[in-house]
Amino acid sequence: MNAHDVAERLESIRAAGSRLRRRTRRERVETLGQVLDGWADPSSRWRQALLAELPGPTGFSTPMVRSGLAAGLDHWTADALAELALSDLGDDCLSESPTHPVSSFESTAVVLAGSIPMPTLLSLIAPLVLGSPVIAKSAARDRVTPALVAGSIAEVDAELGRCIAIVDFARTDEASLRVLLDASCVCATGSDGTIASLQASVRPSRRVLFDGHRLSVAAIGDELASSAIEETAKRLAMDICLWDQLGCLSPVVVYAVGTSESGSSEAAEVLTDRLSDALAAALESAESEMPRGAIEPVGARDIVRERSEAELRSAAGHNVKVIASDSTVWTVVRESGPELRPAPLHRFIRVAPVASTRALAEALAPMASHLAAVAVDGFGERTPTVCRELAALGASRICRPGAMQSPPIAWHHAGRGVLSSQARFTDIEC
Amino acid sequence: MSADPARSELDDAILDWMREPDWDYDEARFEALAQETFRYQYNHCEVYKRFCDGRGRVPGRVESWREIPAVPTGAFKETELRSFPPERTVHRFQTSGTSTAVRGTLYLDSLKLYEASLLPSFRRFVFPELESPGDRAAIRVLAPSSREFPESSLSHMFQIALAELGASGSGFDVESGELLVDRILTNLVESAASESPIALCGTAFSFVHLIDHLSQRGVMIGLPPASRVMETGGFKGQSREMPRAELYSEIKRVLGVSAERIVNQYGMTELGSQFYDSVLHAPTEPRRKLGPPWARVVIIDPETGHESVTGQVGTICVFDLANSGSIAAIETGDLGRAVLDGFEVIGREPGAEARGCSIAADELLGRDST
Repeated sequence: MNAHDVAERLESIRAAGSRLRRRTRRERVETLGQVLDGWADPSSRWRQALLAELPGPTGFSTPMVRSGLAAGLDHWTADALAELALSDLGDDCLSESPTHPVSSFESTAVVLAGSIPMPTLLSLIAPLVLGSPVIAKSAARDRVTPALVAGSIAEVDAELGRCIAIVDFARTDEASLRVLLDASCVCATGSDGTIASLQASVRPSRRVLFDGHRLSVAAIGDELASSAIEETAKRLAMDICLWDQLGCLSPVVVYAVGTSESGSSEAAEVLTDRLSDALAAALESAESEMPRGAIEPVGARDIVRERSEAELRSAAGHNVKVIASDSTVWTVVRESGPELRPAPLHRFIRVAPVASTRALAEALAPMASHLAAVAVDGFGERTPTVCRELAALGASRICRPGAMQSPPIAWHHAGRGVLSSQARFTDIEC
Repeated sequence: MSADPARSELDDAILDWMREPDWDYDEARFEALAQETFRYQYNHCEVYKRFCDGRGRVPGRVESWREIPAVPTGAFKETELRSFPPERTVHRFQTSGTSTAVRGTLYLDSLKLYEASLLPSFRRFVFPELESPGDRAAIRVLAPSSREFPESSLSHMFQIALAELGASGSGFDVESGELLVDRILTNLVESAASESPIALCGTAFSFVHLIDHLSQRGVMIGLPPASRVMETGGFKGQSREMPRAELYSEIKRVLGVSAERIVNQYGMTELGSQFYDSVLHAPTEPRRKLGPPWARVVIIDPETGHESVTGQVGTICVFDLANSGSIAAIETGDLGRAVLDGFEVIGREPGAEARGCSIAADELLGRDST
């Protein structure tokens, strides 16, 4: 595909967009709700096709994809979409004459990234809800999901299907990229480098929604009952294993947090040991149920390197322990402290003690600007306070262990509304 | 030299090998010295001893130098890995990095092995035609001198190379952090006019910098055919990256030195020896990295921990006898594959897309993940 092809597709969806905007928002929400209901149904042919086709190019194992789709899609229903519209655009946004008129951009370009299907699905549907036709560039790692989503929309509503175009060109094809970025709203996810490069290419008049890569963590307080450690570890293992820890909602560190008034670290140290052992057992068990997928040499190299460095810290007298599979499929590193260290992903988790919630905030500060979600448990009555502190740090989602890979469709990713960030509101004062 | 007789004996045996004019890749000789070095370092570096104990690989229980536990280069940032008492430290080299990043440190109680190792390799792979001890060549170095950067192992290497192999007019062309473009240009123009070949040596990024400057001035120079370039290092912490093929193409365009006369050096602060592209030493053979007989490479499959089969990508591990004072077995963290009697380094494709949307940890920490 070249720049001419991209221009043709863009022109085509622009033409279809005028018909899209003539529909009421209620009609659009209901139609796209039908699409979502299809994706929420494990037996739907689109979901089955994704399950069959995604593992090949992404390297994910089929059992993991099945579990990941269930966790991510089962609750993204028509009702959830309608609730999202109401909460994000206003209670009367589906009425004929809302108090605050909301309009859409003439066209939306989406630069897709990664290989996890849910963000792709939502990225393609959100502009259509608002009445903006969408042109999307596939991610190099996943050309399956965008095509299937576009197909599912066209099957439910052929006219709506003409409002979506999937394009694919080399990342070095600057001419095609320039054409794509001519859309009036541009959404993109990618590494900081990718985002910086895109920012330099977008014209100033465009609405721009760029999201760099993010990471998530878990914070487990020492009020967690001993009897609950195993269950919590199992839930965290699920959060780690789904999408092989490659998503921004995958925890990379579990902090074992002391909550005593004195700030003594003893309880945190004990909890760190117990969580590490329980996580190792849970990850080993999860491997048999939903094996980790294929890994590239660079990923395996990173895991081996971080294991070796942890072994050296242990040999140097630090309270560090590596618990790991023989191959690279899972790794738990019991750390001696909360210093920020590389996260090789692919089911590599660090468990680090922090003496207090204040120390937790200090540990998270260096990554605050990249923080997505925090799984929280074991803080007892202090839970609301801890959640507020984490929100103040920049976390856009705080949930229980085991729920990290199941965000509601209305999750304020990067702190923004899913629909409102792509909408144009009008305040009428007369 | 070390006051420890056992260490002195070991170093003498290694030095003897380094001083032999003809290289002999005797596997049995290397194996014996590697096992002896392992035994010495196991007994004199407590951290390394515990590391090896943890892996169950201790002297007398490893059959081959390939099984000797290798420490990752990152460990040099957090741990003082030396096989001699701290008070005997005479020099330290530090890895490059920003002022805020933690830098790795190599501690040395003697520079003898270090210096004895670097020269024969530099001569053999960058100046194979300098056969007699007194032969010299014009060398300009696009890096600061070791007087200015005593902690830089690269500057130290160039200082030694210039002293031993540099003809009159050789020298450093980076001072106070500034690439002295005018002075370089003068030397290049003189070289071209007099048809006297010149060798330009420096970091890959210094060449990018030089090419940018010369291109801005519209300068293109046809250096004499026997000229050469030796470049090393990556683009860690630099404002932009340039794929190696593009860099070589630009060097050809601006300086007139073709890829067949550009030698990439593979080395690092944590190693006493260096490896070089084979292009000048063995110009009719496939380009690959070669090193001296006293430093060997094994490519390890990270999934199994065993040696990769030929051609399979794995982690480059080096066993370097020149590292007798620190740790000889080093896990470089670079990926590579075996090629004939050498190896090639597999670099990260600039801008390669991630599989997920979780931030690459190295990106967050500002580390080089190449």
